[in-house]
Amino acid sequence: MKLIRPTPSVFARVTDFDDWLRHPLASMPSLGQFFSQLGEVFPGGTSDKMSVDVHEDKDAYYAHFELPGVKKENVKIELNDCLITVTAEKREKNGDSESRCALSRSVSVPDGVNVDAIVAKLEDGILNLTLPKAEHKKPRAIELN
Amino acid sequence: MNATCTPSTCAPAAPSGVTESVRKPLYKVKGNIDAYEVRVEMPGVPKSGVKLDLEDNILTVRGERASNVREGMRALHRELSPLNYLLRLRLNKPVDEDKMSAKLEDGVLSLILPLKEVAKPRQILVS
Repeated sequence: MKLIRPTPSVFARVTDFDDWLRHPLASMPSLGQFFSQLGEVFPGGTSDKMSVDVHEDKDAYYAHFELPGVKKENVKIELNDCLITVTAEKREKNGDSESRCALSRSVSVPDGVNVDAIVAKLEDGILNLTLPKAEHKKPRAIELN
Repeated sequence: MNATCTPSTCAPAAPSGVTESVRKPLYKVKGNIDAYEVRVEMPGVPKSGVKLDLEDNILTVRGERASNVREGMRALHRELSPLNYLLRLRLNKPVDEDKMSAKLEDGVLSLILPLKEVAKPRQILVS
């Protein structure tokens, strides 16, 4: 027997990023890794892209963005429909001058996230986003009568 | 500007037996007349995870990442490297070890390594 929950949204397939992450190529070395290796070949730069990890457990999804050298006040997180966008401005003092670099990265929010309870924390150059799953999306045991 | 210091990277010390996989962090070095200024990007490394060492004019910076992953978590998408950081720089001018300073802020380590007095360029007055 299968329990199937009807999906209310017609965009369900798009929002279900679980699906495309299970894509056979999802485990390939990402462009991000490719560029960080490039960074080793040409050292002396600063990262101009934002790497992201996404994890999941039974309670929530967790997104970790790498943002070295970015101050809390220069990070903007926007939730728009099913997309969370992190925009950060990296400022680097160089004597009297200051260089600025804007970075941006979007992650699609999986279906069934309690968007009102999303928490963000910036620590040691890593932005941690916690996207709690809505109660009805958590796995639960069904008791036999 | 030949008087400025220019460090060069050097390969990790020849491993004896086990090799630890590490990665080289992104870094920038500014060589001034009187000091090296080094900026190393080490996101995910807490203050307690940074180790600095200066021996034989080789500066070693190690950064140990604090893991974001707890038990029961499943990776859906991975770009961040879990490897710790290791950077070794050969300094071509002697550094005054007592005056070195280091600051870790927002995942960026800023080092100021003042040169020893003898290494600084001197002006000789004509009498």
